[in-house]
Amino acid sequence: MMSVIDELKSIVGEDYVLTSEVDLVAYSYDATFTSARPTLVVLPGSTEEVAEVLKVANRERIPVVPRGMGTGLAAGSIPFGGGIAMPLTRMTELLEIDRENMMATAQAGIITSDLARTLAREGYFYPPDPSSAEYSTLGGNVACNAGGAHCLKYGITGHYVAALEVVLADGRVMRLGGKATKNVTGYDLLHLMIGSEGTLGVITEVTVRFIRQPEAERTAEAVFPKLADAGRAINAVLASGANPAMLEIMDETAIKSVEDYLHLGLPLDAEAILIIQTDGSVEEAERGIEIVAEVCRQNGAREVRVAATPEESAEMWHARHSISGSLGRIRPNKLGEDVTVPHNAIPAMIARIKEISARYGLPIVIFGHAGDGNLHPNILFDKRDPEEFERVEQAVGDLFRAAVELGGSLSGEHGVGVLKRPYLEMALGSVAVEVQKSIKQALDPHGILNPGKIFV
Amino acid sequence: MTPTVPAVAEELYLQCIRCGKCLSVCPIYRETRIESLSPRGRVALYRAVGEEGLTTDEIYANRFYNCLMCEACREICPSGVQLDVILTHVRVDLAHSGLLPEPLHRLDDVIATAGNISNEPNEQRLGWTANLETPPTGLDHEGPAEVAYFVGCVSSLFPASYSIPQSLVQIMERAGVDYALLGDEERCCGYPMYLNGEADRAADLARHNIAAARATGARRVVMSCPSCYHMWKHTYPELLGEDALDGLEVIHETELLSELTQDGRLHLKPWDATVTYHDSCDLGRKSGIFEPPRDVLRAIPEVELVEMADHHAKSLCCGGGGNLETFNRDLARSLPRRRLEQAQDAGAKYIVVSCQQCKRTLAGAARREKIRVRVMDLAEVVLRQMEEE
Repeated sequence: MMSVIDELKSIVGEDYVLTSEVDLVAYSYDATFTSARPTLVVLPGSTEEVAEVLKVANRERIPVVPRGMGTGLAAGSIPFGGGIAMPLTRMTELLEIDRENMMATAQAGIITSDLARTLAREGYFYPPDPSSAEYSTLGGNVACNAGGAHCLKYGITGHYVAALEVVLADGRVMRLGGKATKNVTGYDLLHLMIGSEGTLGVITEVTVRFIRQPEAERTAEAVFPKLADAGRAINAVLASGANPAMLEIMDETAIKSVEDYLHLGLPLDAEAILIIQTDGSVEEAERGIEIVAEVCRQNGAREVRVAATPEESAEMWHARHSISGSLGRIRPNKLGEDVTVPHNAIPAMIARIKEISARYGLPIVIFGHAGDGNLHPNILFDKRDPEEFERVEQAVGDLFRAAVELGGSLSGEHGVGVLKRPYLEMALGSVAVEVQKSIKQALDPHGILNPGKIFV
Repeated sequence: MTPTVPAVAEELYLQCIRCGKCLSVCPIYRETRIESLSPRGRVALYRAVGEEGLTTDEIYANRFYNCLMCEACREICPSGVQLDVILTHVRVDLAHSGLLPEPLHRLDDVIATAGNISNEPNEQRLGWTANLETPPTGLDHEGPAEVAYFVGCVSSLFPASYSIPQSLVQIMERAGVDYALLGDEERCCGYPMYLNGEADRAADLARHNIAAARATGARRVVMSCPSCYHMWKHTYPELLGEDALDGLEVIHETELLSELTQDGRLHLKPWDATVTYHDSCDLGRKSGIFEPPRDVLRAIPEVELVEMADHHAKSLCCGGGGNLETFNRDLARSLPRRRLEQAQDAGAKYIVVSCQQCKRTLAGAARREKIRVRVMDLAEVVLRQMEEE
């Protein structure tokens, strides 16, 4: 395919078509345990270049796997069938901050926290905050409809997307949405693209809403000797009127793993910690955290510590955001799931996870966004042991069945990718899967966009 | 030490679960946004050599030498991957299998033959003493001295850096510190060789420098350069044995200045300025010296000391590390801008450094990019603030 490579080089420039073995290795993985090398890597610098690359790929029937910073947790950006890996990491420009409409427009490759920090300097707040906000792109967040701790009160990425520029499989450029608050003109293609994991189009530009920063925030850390008590406390807090902005859980393995990394003096004898933040006016935040502390104590918390300074609060959240990465200290591989259940089913889900862990003899760490029912059971294992890996796969199946049985679903924020494909029909039913497949067929008839993802 | 096949240690790479957190702090990745130029990418390459038989060729070497060795990645890694060990080992293997890039190879040859990094006659090392009002008293010190001052190549040979040793000797003289200079008996410490993966070539330099310091009779060696400090303190004992420095205490300029401040031997007049302190990688993150320079700044009346977004162990490399300037000048020059912006965001009018390389890098970039922030070495600040007795 020499001539195709030359053609691609003429589109994006010689330096931005990478074909060395070294670069193919570097674009063969995401944040999961799987990997597969692309045939080549193309780094476009503009929407026009993305469109031209897709025209060539569509004509030649070459798979294109769009990608942000490769920190996905569902193997959604791994090029299992080879083809072109297309990171949008060169497209980082913040194009506009519209202060009147309170919306910002940026190219898809901007790092989410770079956008959020720029807005925060002016007192604005972009709430979606996946733990990887410092090392993932806005486009990637939209393509996976990423969540984060603030989703409990403020909603997920998709709730903040006002407009998108998307390049379709055949290279046509489509603009969706806009700055008008209400718009019911035609099908809601905007929300079709959000969470489509690069299978329906390549997101090149994003307009997001932002809000004012709340006047005050208070954070508390509640230590529970019993995990089951923590599970009950979650529902009690949600019903209390404290209206928390974030409500996160970490179990004993998560606590140990983070403590080994950060040496914060976390209680190693506790079965669970809840980290909870309230916000709003000074009075609201203060009153809220008092209620939280009281409710936690009533539900079995041994100790509730309220952060006295912003630094102390930042430390509590730093611990929470470091769990996932720190798990490599325990076993070489992890499978991090993001099952969701109605929040009243959290205690039951925690109990089911414990059962599954015992049944298969696998350590399963529990942490996550307990307040919105989105847990991150992480199975720890060593991929080099095939027998163990087989147990991992069975345990995953049981986890998904448990979530669905409790009225929840497979994924709250990571997406389906490859790892959850086998369970899609169980979660959605056959009709919904058929409809999704026909949408895919209509938008990408040659199946070049991120093939093999979402559907088996 | 001549391995031809790079050794890959499974236990080093298996700990990387590829979460990507290091991408957020790697200055090279942030600038290039190319995964093979990121810490996670380099670990993946290292792993692929072991597991997939990836060839270690010039491209592979390119990805490892396009690195500042700043260790921000090691510092932030939640999983505890020893990136410093991986990055150093790979460079050793590359250098010993003929894959040290030409400009870096040349640098090591120059150091080995000339005894300094800029291929000048080693007598030139005293150029900085020429235009002082009175010659430094440490120049022809008689009898045993209290402290030997190891100036370092850049401050000795780059005129723009002369004011750092010039300041420190004047401070020592006024504070009554009995010091001796090594003069042309000083040789390059060998740190660039260590960075390149050829620390073994630095053994003779290490032996020579230690002997020269001992010859002054001093029990302490002070250095202005954090890289010299790091080399002496950490690598010399590795090269020559644990007892190589017995009876010699190696300290950095900032430690000496802090000590003099605490002992009341420096009288500092007020300085009404908003100042930030830039931790160099070799002194801060890699050697754990954070507070002495800050203590000195706090001792100056009216100074408002502010911190940049990244400070202490999380400090952002100026772009002057890892011999990158020699290997890839354009990339190195693109890096300091972010640090200067952090200083501006913090409201600082001055960035105080304690490293001649950070000073060159940041001051040069401030000039090029027309960013109004002044860069000074701590010794320059202290001398300026010292009240005449």
